[in-house]
Amino acid sequence: MTRRSALAAMVLGGVGFATFGPRGAKEDPSGRVVLDYWEKWTGHEAAAMKKIVDAFNQSQDRIVVRYLTTAGIDQKTLITIAAGDPPDVVGLWAYLVPVFAESDSLIPLDELDTKGEVRVERYATGFRELMTHRDSKGQTRQWATMNTGGTLAVYYNKAHFREVGLDPEKPPRTIEEFDAAHRKLVKRDADGSLTRAGFMHIEPGWWSWIWVFQFGGGVYDAASDRSIIGAPEAVAAYEWMQSYSKELGVDATKKFRAGFGNYDSPLNAFLTGRLSMVIQGPWLANVINAHGPKDVNGKPLLDYGVMPAPVIPSLVDPRNPVGLVEGDVLVIPKGCKHPKEAMEFIAFTQRQEHVEALSLAHYKSSTLAVSSEKFLREHPNTGVRVFDAVAQSALGFRYPRTQAWTQFKDELDGMAQRMWSLEQPAKDMLATVQARTQSYLDRAEQQRNLRGRSIRGGRA
Amino acid sequence: MSTSGAQLKKDLLGWLWVSPWVIGFLAFLAAPMAMSLYYSFTDYPLLEGPVWIGAGNWKRMLTDEVFHAAILRTAWYAILFIPIATAMALVIAALLNEKVKAGGFFQAAVFIPTLVPMAGSAMIWLWMLNGEYGLINQSIHAAFGWAGIEGPNWLQNSKWAMPSILMISLWSIGQMVVVYLAALKEVPDELLEAGALDGMGPVRRFFNITLPMISPVILFNVITLMIGSLQVFAIPYVLSAATPGNDPRAMYFFTSSMYDNAFRYNQMGYASAQAWLQLLITLGLTAIMFAASKKLVHYRA
Repeated sequence: MTRRSALAAMVLGGVGFATFGPRGAKEDPSGRVVLDYWEKWTGHEAAAMKKIVDAFNQSQDRIVVRYLTTAGIDQKTLITIAAGDPPDVVGLWAYLVPVFAESDSLIPLDELDTKGEVRVERYATGFRELMTHRDSKGQTRQWATMNTGGTLAVYYNKAHFREVGLDPEKPPRTIEEFDAAHRKLVKRDADGSLTRAGFMHIEPGWWSWIWVFQFGGGVYDAASDRSIIGAPEAVAAYEWMQSYSKELGVDATKKFRAGFGNYDSPLNAFLTGRLSMVIQGPWLANVINAHGPKDVNGKPLLDYGVMPAPVIPSLVDPRNPVGLVEGDVLVIPKGCKHPKEAMEFIAFTQRQEHVEALSLAHYKSSTLAVSSEKFLREHPNTGVRVFDAVAQSALGFRYPRTQAWTQFKDELDGMAQRMWSLEQPAKDMLATVQARTQSYLDRAEQQRNLRGRSIRGGRA
Repeated sequence: MSTSGAQLKKDLLGWLWVSPWVIGFLAFLAAPMAMSLYYSFTDYPLLEGPVWIGAGNWKRMLTDEVFHAAILRTAWYAILFIPIATAMALVIAALLNEKVKAGGFFQAAVFIPTLVPMAGSAMIWLWMLNGEYGLINQSIHAAFGWAGIEGPNWLQNSKWAMPSILMISLWSIGQMVVVYLAALKEVPDELLEAGALDGMGPVRRFFNITLPMISPVILFNVITLMIGSLQVFAIPYVLSAATPGNDPRAMYFFTSSMYDNAFRYNQMGYASAQAWLQLLITLGLTAIMFAASKKLVHYRA
């Protein structure tokens, strides 16, 4: 081969690849609009959503949804929006809505939802705030619909309760009652090593900061855009956490925890009976059924109950339990190719039968204001009514709605481990962390100031 | 065709042949670097356009406590890892250089871990270092349990996070061993024989003949180790994410901070400034090493 023919072959190859090479189809051969829908779920959760996508694709002949499940969806969405080529629908975590909303990186659904099919009033009280946030001009808009909800409550092992003389039908409601139950449930072997703990705040450690709310406090004051993690309620909550660490022993619990397996495995500490009570979302019931002990017929043996997380006496209200309300949302990124069709697909997913089918498959409570009796009756999670009560509660709380939350939360997560290790008194550590988290909020305000949209009214 | 015309045609053809590399270099290295330099002087949250803030990001690096801690941790990692890895690789290479039975097997055994992706090796070590069920602590218990000596909670105790990461990193020094082994085989036998005739023992021969002869290779490896150490990311990132209950800041390095600022905290401008600082530190340390090498490294004529 001569140099000239080699060069010609290379050029031809390049032109051919550019012309006929692979690219994302925007229309399928039958002429239907192709919608790209990215979702973060895997396994049975992804499969459950796939059924709804398939149902939508079969329900009409104009649109076909191409469903992609992917890891790191938050970062990928960020990059595709920045690059101007996002998918049409994305399944994000609700706490990310402020990040995308404040920069107008999503299309407000109230602009597209002309029939009112996904208006916030359709959803349980606790979820409504998750779907809305201010835009770059300070106007509150609806940016998302709930896809599934996730509230938190405490799972407890009824057999353990019976074993130590606690009534499994009357679980503790106050912090004091909870402490008493925990102490009774702790077991040690002959050499004093822990073999069972009643409760450990840092297991699984995914929501290290929520205890502040059980004491009537908070971590962020949206009205003043201030960190309030150093407030007396927070000090009380973290001192409570440290009291468990002191009682169980820092080194003893570290060694004890080292033997805990992964959350989604038979070695999950609640499943193995090493922990009698654990804070979790409704999805744990699926892990219990999948990996927990079973009889010869495959029937799950773990006898569990679910109770609202304990609170100080003044917050006890059976109709308004205190708990975190979070969830997964569907959004339409700005710059997507087919916003109207995306809205049509989202509205389809929000029909009651689809919401309940997806929630059932995920073992979660429904996101809607009213659940069908059949849904509640047939739900595989025996504690679904507790999770539903948290979602409907006036005392439910959410992740702080600030752009700086990811950085703020990283700081709180790091502090929780140091707090458990008793590195400093709670009050001192919280004072340091309040200053640091405030600097993250100040930084976010500076970003807004640079773009002329301060939320502190010029007090930054 | 005139001579200059022929030369021009030859030059053009040359450029045409190297054009794929030139285009790749400009599009994927030079342009992104230039853009990141610009972004380092801006506030750039990715979802919105950059806004010029001058030296704001650079000044912020002076007061960012989390970043300072990450730099300090990275420096400690480099200070510990570079000499330990170099010494270990040299010793292993020297042993493998001896004529032993099944030498090929041992060479392969040392090299194979480098073929395991870093995320994969982090997952393997996650279990090896498990405080209760891990192979390491089980072995310590079997050997010394009678004396009350037990292994630590490697990944859940902040103090043991660094030794854990060092141990995992040292598992993958096979590539360096292979380079040293090749260099050792290049040391002329006649020099070693002359040394032996002059009464040098094996240790003295190693330090007085072998080491100077392979010193350029040592310099190369130390520089690549230094660059790798400053950029350490994958192993601590995976370990930290997969170990609930540890202090995430105990495994927080220079590149972790850069990654978080760029992709999790929406501060690409600040992350770009950090990236440039990392490049400047790397270039500075490399220059110092080259300067120091003039006296320490022996190049054969």
